[in-house]
Amino acid sequence: MEQNKEMTAQESLALIAETVNNSRKSIVKRSGKYMLVWGIALTIVSLLVFILWKSTGKEAWNYLWFAMPVIGLVPSYIMKSKETTHLPDNTVSRMLSGIWRTFGVFAVSISVFCILYAQFGSSFFTSLAIGVSLSPMILLLFGMAETISGVAVKNTSIKVAGVITGVGGIILYYILGNMSEDGIETTLLFTLAGIVLALTGVILQIQNKE
Amino acid sequence: MFPKLDPLLHSELRLAVMSILADVTSADFTFLKKQTGATSGNLSVQIDKLAAAGYVTVEKGFKGKMPCTTCTITPVGMEAFQGYVNALKDYLPL
Repeated sequence: MEQNKEMTAQESLALIAETVNNSRKSIVKRSGKYMLVWGIALTIVSLLVFILWKSTGKEAWNYLWFAMPVIGLVPSYIMKSKETTHLPDNTVSRMLSGIWRTFGVFAVSISVFCILYAQFGSSFFTSLAIGVSLSPMILLLFGMAETISGVAVKNTSIKVAGVITGVGGIILYYILGNMSEDGIETTLLFTLAGIVLALTGVILQIQNKE
Repeated sequence: MFPKLDPLLHSELRLAVMSILADVTSADFTFLKKQTGATSGNLSVQIDKLAAAGYVTVEKGFKGKMPCTTCTITPVGMEAFQGYVNALKDYLPL
């Protein structure tokens, strides 16, 4: 790039558009990489919970869900430390990061609350007198986060995938739940969510190929 | 009568740097170098010119043991960039 090249107005506008576009592509592509990692982490953990719960019949394997942040954060941290160029944040990457962090905080908070409710409901939470069904709530939150991500990156496939995972996931949850007494199979809905998240990451990487 | 284009921004490399910085919170030198394809020396000179005009702030620090120069667009720079883009529109039949 030359600093003294005479530019026409048209060339200047084209340069601005191209530079901003290229810069945005590299930044959003990085977000896609992290979504892929978290999608794989969610798929692995949900499959592990499903297999262990199904084979042992012990519901306690659900505590493995709390390993999710570690399984997702460790590779994310390694990836970040290996980045040769520190990529800045722009509006889209900040929005994506905010959406999924909010989802994470809500999902973990609801999970902790539900576990406390299940363990000590009668002594601590009787006055609240509410029943909570954790999985559909998290599926709904996930679907919303996915759809809003699709809106942020202007991608219809991601928006549709969010609706399918959120709304379709809840419907499937009750269908699968009615099919068996223990409802272990409903864990596989999170495997589906993990695949959707990983695919979202792949879509973002392809869409923003430099 | 067409409005006068800001001569500081009407340069390929400086305009590219300002376009990137207008879109991000801040960017480090290596990112700007990669995106513009400029040489370190040339980029450094142009960033200094933008900093001297108050369009960007330059912060020198370290990331681990590696030196790191971070550039951020200032409100003055943002205003100048928006003014430049608006002025460009007058030159084109948009």
